Parts: sequence; structure tokens; C-alpha cells
Amino acid sequence: MKRKFSFNTQVNIVRYAGSLLLTFLFGAMIISMQGESPLAAVRYIFEGSFGNKVNLGNVLHWFASCAMVGFAAAVAFKSGVMNLGLEGQLYMGAWISAILGYKLALPPVIHPLVCILAGMAAGLLWGLVPALMKLIFQVNEIITTLMMNFIAILLTDYLTVLFLDYEGITNVTVVKTPTIQKTAQLTVLIKGTSATTAILIAIVVGIVLHLLYHYTVKGYELKQVGENLRFAKMGGVNATQTFISIFLLTSMIAGMCGALEVLGVNHQFITSFSSNMGWDGVMIARVAVNNPLVVMAVSFFWAIFKAGSLYLERATELNRYVINLLQAMLVIFLSADYSMILNKYYAFVKRKKQRLEIKEGT
Amino acid sequence: MGQETEKYVLETRNICKSFGALKANDNISLKVKRQSIHAILGENGAGKSTLMNILTNIHKPDSGEILIDGKVMKFKNPRDAAKAGIGMVYQEFMLAKDLTVLENIIIGYEEGSGPLIDKKKNREKCEELCQKYHLDLPLDEKLTELPVAVLQQIEIAKVLYRGAEIIIMDEPTSALTPQGIEGLFQALKELKAQGKTILLITHKLDEIFAVSDALTIMRDGKLIGTFDPYEIDQQQAANLMVGREVILEAQKLPCHPKDVVLKIEGLHVRDSEGIERVKGVDLTVRAGEIVGIAGVAGAGQQHFIEALFGLRGAEKGSVVEFKGENILGKHPGELRKHGIGYVPQDRIATGCNTKGSLWENAIMGYHRAKGFTPKWRLNRKQADTFTRQVLKAFDVKHQSIEEPIGSLSGGNIQKLIVGREFLQDCDLLIIEDPTRGIDVGAIEYIWAKIIEFASKGAAILLVSHELNEVMQLSDHIYVMYNGQLQDGGEHGELSEKEIGFIMTGGKRDEEKV
Repeated sequence: MKRKFSFNTQVNIVRYAGSLLLTFLFGAMIISMQGESPLAAVRYIFEGSFGNKVNLGNVLHWFASCAMVGFAAAVAFKSGVMNLGLEGQLYMGAWISAILGYKLALPPVIHPLVCILAGMAAGLLWGLVPALMKLIFQVNEIITTLMMNFIAILLTDYLTVLFLDYEGITNVTVVKTPTIQKTAQLTVLIKGTSATTAILIAIVVGIVLHLLYHYTVKGYELKQVGENLRFAKMGGVNATQTFISIFLLTSMIAGMCGALEVLGVNHQFITSFSSNMGWDGVMIARVAVNNPLVVMAVSFFWAIFKAGSLYLERATELNRYVINLLQAMLVIFLSADYSMILNKYYAFVKRKKQRLEIKEGT
Repeated sequence: MGQETEKYVLETRNICKSFGALKANDNISLKVKRQSIHAILGENGAGKSTLMNILTNIHKPDSGEILIDGKVMKFKNPRDAAKAGIGMVYQEFMLAKDLTVLENIIIGYEEGSGPLIDKKKNREKCEELCQKYHLDLPLDEKLTELPVAVLQQIEIAKVLYRGAEIIIMDEPTSALTPQGIEGLFQALKELKAQGKTILLITHKLDEIFAVSDALTIMRDGKLIGTFDPYEIDQQQAANLMVGREVILEAQKLPCHPKDVVLKIEGLHVRDSEGIERVKGVDLTVRAGEIVGIAGVAGAGQQHFIEALFGLRGAEKGSVVEFKGENILGKHPGELRKHGIGYVPQDRIATGCNTKGSLWENAIMGYHRAKGFTPKWRLNRKQADTFTRQVLKAFDVKHQSIEEPIGSLSGGNIQKLIVGREFLQDCDLLIIEDPTRGIDVGAIEYIWAKIIEFASKGAAILLVSHELNEVMQLSDHIYVMYNGQLQDGGEHGELSEKEIGFIMTGGKRDEEKV
């Protein structure tokens, strides 16, 4: 048996190929069970993503959002911080940028910049609370960040109503802030679509993170802290400081993502707008093994599924949650311990070969 | 033929096992006589543990067979091996701290019907067992308070309870005091008298010569030979283990201590539960000398070192001065900048990042103490140069500096860890257990480096659970017992036995009387 790749590479190949295959298999089963053709579903997804200019714009828009939450999650997980509060941080960022986008009168370029910075600050402050609770009271950040999601979603809801002073509410089912000023809106890259400069910002953030991890001492420390905290402490890394900086960075990116959503596409804060984007981030980071560049690639696929699933829902009997289901399945399949499986397989092949040799020998 | 095999309770025939390209066991044919204490000697990585894991069916052999009482065994899982009478006592005890001694012994093999446990029957069985083998165990006590020697006896009781006829012990003496080792050997002899067979896996030659009936030496995955203890002496056995001449004694250089580098006065440290672990330690370390601290594990060394290196807070009123400057309360990063290096005890949990590459591991600490230019930038050229220096100076066997450190052997990992601290030219080096669980060749190498480093003018504080190591290397020896330091004399002043006596709470003068 020739071994062209190192064991780790082999494991990764099996991991990704196997998971994709399994996901497609199960997906085909689920779709068939609902009386639709899996192949047609694939076609609709691609039509929904690349069929025309608007669809393509949607994919690009989703790419930016997915990549931003993906970065936020990856930054946290890479350093062993379980920030599950992306959703909440995103809401805070979105709300504050919608308000400032509406209230302030500033020239273009500066206006969105101010809004984005404010969104980042809001996300950061929201992330600071669980960080401090962990440091002072040793409360596990998984619990606090998770709970603070609910607070953020309902708080922004309440603040929106408060801001509108009850009179501005024309529609009871959808509570939203007024549309932001033209000056605050992000520039549209492809006319008539939702592809805005948010895409460029996402790419820049991804590259900056990549550079941070590969070319700076701080990035080196962040990685070591995630892989072995005791090792990092022993080596002189200030764990407390690092923990805070990770927390602030991840929640800041999440807040920024919320701001970009508002300034780029929605142009207003709509309560409960995000449809679990924060959780997409968790999944994307998981699939991309917390590598910023891979996060970008995975986000692109995620975006195709997101844009395509809406179209799929319209064109077929299928519900778009089928796609969510497939995404979740993919994450679960990827999380299996493939090195163990591969080892068992090799041992099995070897034993079989030996048995065969013995048989031939006698 | 029948009688021939009857003599051997355990036999392996042509066992082979490979991990990737590494042949961990190469055609091992071992014969173990019934009712004997059989030692298996070899350096780390010689394949001892692999062989034992094959006997207990944790690893499946690639080929070869195992015979018990002359019958070929077909094990499907570790439980089959246990049923066939093979019991294993691991180096790291597999015990549940929160359960009582009794519960630990019966776990997994409880007497009772269905989901119910018959407490009375279990207790009777345990008491009977303890009586039979003269094990004096406090059955109802929880494990948290018990000393290591007792934990080991619990492990032995556990395998006996499971009906083991052949007991395999992995490095059983590593956690014990000299007195504890004697107690263990007494217990082993008792077991032997009762008809059990014992396999001792170890790389400590001197201890096992006294008790073994047979010695099997392994090297590089091969079985070198099985000897009677009177056939060969220690030196010969050591040569067979490493395949070359080994000097088991360190080449100590004369020591010329200069200025005081580290001064500790009245250091008190509490653990996270508020229990005082270090109870007033006074100590000075001068430039150019090696100060060694011996002691049984858990005597307070860990808390002492952690407080010293800023990983743990110390009580008010404690004084720790480095070159006359107070360093208490400073975190490790600052201490490293001051020129203090640290080799932690547990190389896997603390000493390295097993997922990281060689260079990532080599520059840890250095990146703060020496720093890069410019300060914020991870200068790979500089990092690689330093890594290569470490690898070369400490003869770390490796393939590339990008490979994960987890793929190196224990000895090579330790060399890298020690090397990374040594090459930063610190003024004070705190070293914990620098040679724990590594092979003789690497021990020799690291010992020589420590002595060389001190002779160049560095102050070294050596904390080791290996008494011999402290005695070989230190210019002045202290013994930590119950959070306090006892004087253990200058280099060579007291014998191993005398220091062992202090380690278990005796006073130096009492011993002399």
C-alpha cells in the first residue's frame, strides 16, 4: 500500500469527503421522502444562487454575513473561548447602527463608518459582560453568553418600541426602526442587487485575521492559549489579558456583522431579523476548523445554500428548513473522530491481508 | 512437551506490532514462569508498554499468539484478557477519587443481582481478599486523603478481586519512597507465595534486581534476552538496555557559588481550597550552584514552584527576591523577562502543546523573554533559527521543524523543553522532574547539560521526585516534607536511605541516633 499523504491529510480527506457524501445521501433521502427529486432540488438551489443578477447578489450578500459571523466564532473557538453569544452581540450592533444611521446627519463614507464603529462598540460591550463575569465570578461563559442572547433579542425589541414611542408602530406584526439615511447606506456593488461593500469589508477582515494568526506574536499566543492554556501560561502569556482580548475581538466582529446587515441590506432594524445567523457562525467555524481563510470558502457555500433555499421553497413543496437540516447534519458528520475510524480500517485491512497470506501459504 | 509448557503460565510467540513505520514489537517471544516475579526492562520506547497492552488486549497484535497455561488465547477485547487472568496496574492509577476504597476495588465487577449491588457480599469478598494477601486497606475511606503507596495497594487489590493470576505492573516504583518500595516488594513476594505471577515493567535497574526471579531486556522493539538475576550485574543489564556503555552516575563538576540569586523567606502558600500547602520555606540559591529539593509527590513542591513562578498567589508576608528585587506577585511573562526560566514537571500537560509544531513549542517563553524584532511581529526567520539552535544543541531527533511535537518520543520532547529554557541564557532556572519517564540516554544528556549550565554561572533550583537525581546533581540537598524544607546536607553527605528517612517525616538527627 502506497501512502502518498501523511496520516493527518488522509484523515482530513476522509473527513470532508465522507461527511459530504453522507450529507448528500441523507439529504437525497429526506427530499425523496417528501416527494421531490433530489436532483431537481440541487438544480433549484443553483438557479436560486446563480440564476440571475439578483440571485447572485443575494449569494454575495449572504457570503459577507456568513463570513463575518464565521470569523467571530472562529476567533473565539480557536483560542478556546466558547462565545455562544454571537447572536446577541449581533443584535446589539445592528440596533445601535440602525439608530445612528437614522438619527445622525453625516456625509457619506463617514456616516456608515461611524455606524459600523458604533455597532462594533455595542457588540464589544455586550461581550464584555460575560467576560467580566467569568474573570470575577468564574461563571462559565457558555452559560452567560447563551443567556445574554435572549436578553439582547428582547432588549432590542423593547428599545425599538421605546424609540418609536408607540406611535411610530404602524404594523403590529413587524416592529422596526425607521429607514436609515441615504448617507449611511453602504454602496451597492452590483446595481439592483443586495451586493454591497460589506463583501469587501468581510474579505478585508478575513485577511487581517489571517495575517494576525500567521505573522504576529499576539496571534501566536492566541493560538497557543487555545491549544494548551497551561503551556501558554507557563511560557509567560498573560492568560487574563488574552482571554479579555479574545472576547472583545469576537464580540466586536459579531457586532460589526450586525451593523453591516443593517447598513447594507435591511436599512433598518427589524426585530428578530437575524434568523439564527449567530448559530450559522458557530457551524461555519466548526466546518472551517477555525481558520479564517477556510471560513471564507465555507461561507461561500453556506451563502449558496442560504440564497438557494429561499428559491427552493418557492419553486417546490420543500421547506427551507430542509437545507438547515442538511447543514446541521454536515457539521455533525464532520465532528466524528475520523482518525479512529481510519486506524480501525487500516488494522482491518492488514489483518485480512495476513489471513489471506496464511491461507495461501498452507 | 506437555510438561515443558506447564512450567510457563504465560507465553507469547512471535508477537509483532507496528504503528505506522515504527516497529514497536518485533517478533517478541517471551516465556514467563509460573509463580515468579519477572521484570521487563527497557528504555522508553523499547516496546515494553506495547507488549503489555497487547497482553491486556488494549492493542491487537499484527501477528503472533499469546498462550496462557499452554493454551492459545483468542482475546476479542480487554475484558477477555481480564477473564483469562491477566490484570494490569498502571503507572498512572485508574482510580475514582470520590469513591471509597471498597467501591474502587469492586467497580465494574460488583456482586449482586441485576441492577442491585449486594453490599454485604462485596464487603465480605474484599475483606477476605485483603486478609489472604495481607493488604491492610481502609475499605470505607475515600481516596482523596490516602498516600500513593496505599493507592497502589488498592490497584493491586482491584486486579486480585477481578481474579487475576498474572499481575502486570507498569513502573510501580516511580511514585514511591524508598520505604514504600520496600513495602511494595514485600507485598509482591507475598503474592508470589500465594501462587500469583508478577510482571514488572520498569527502566529502573537498581530496584528490581533485588526482587526479580527473571529479567527480560527489550531494546528497540526487540527482545534482547531473558536472564537470571545472578547471571548478569546491573552494569551489564544497563548496557544491554541501551546498547552502549552508560554511566549511571552524573559527572559532577566542582561548584563555586557566587552571589545570591534567589532568596526566599517565610514563603507560605495556600491552595484553592484554603489549605496551607507550603508552610514557611526559607531558601537561598546562589549563582553557579544547583540546589535540589527531594520529596514524596504531594509534599508541597508543586504549590511551592507555582508560587515561585507566578502561577499561584502566595500569602502575605512571604518574601521572594531575585537578585535583591521582589518578584512575588509578578506573572511568568515578567519573570521570564527578568531572566528566570522554568521547566515544568508535566511535559505533556504543561511543557508543550502537542498539537503545535516544533518551532511553536520551541519559541514559547523565548518569544516573551528575548522577544522578536520588531516586537509585535512573529519573525519566522528568527523563530526558526532559535528552534534549530535548540534542536541541534540538545540533539533532538526530528524530521522537520513543522512536524507536531506530539510525534516525537518523550525523551526528545523533554530535550526540546529543557533546551528551549537553557538557550535563553537565564540567570535562574527552576527545573521540575527533568528526566521523568525518559530513557537512560536522554537522562544522561540532560544531566550533563544541567551541570554544565550551572558551571557557567547560572543558579539552578531542581525539584525532583527522583531521589537519585537530586542526590546526583545537587550541591546542596533539601527535602520537602509536609510543606516544609528539611536539610538534606551537601552533595554526598547523606546516604539515599538517610534522605529517604527524612522524606517520610523523619528528622535527620533521629536517624543518626
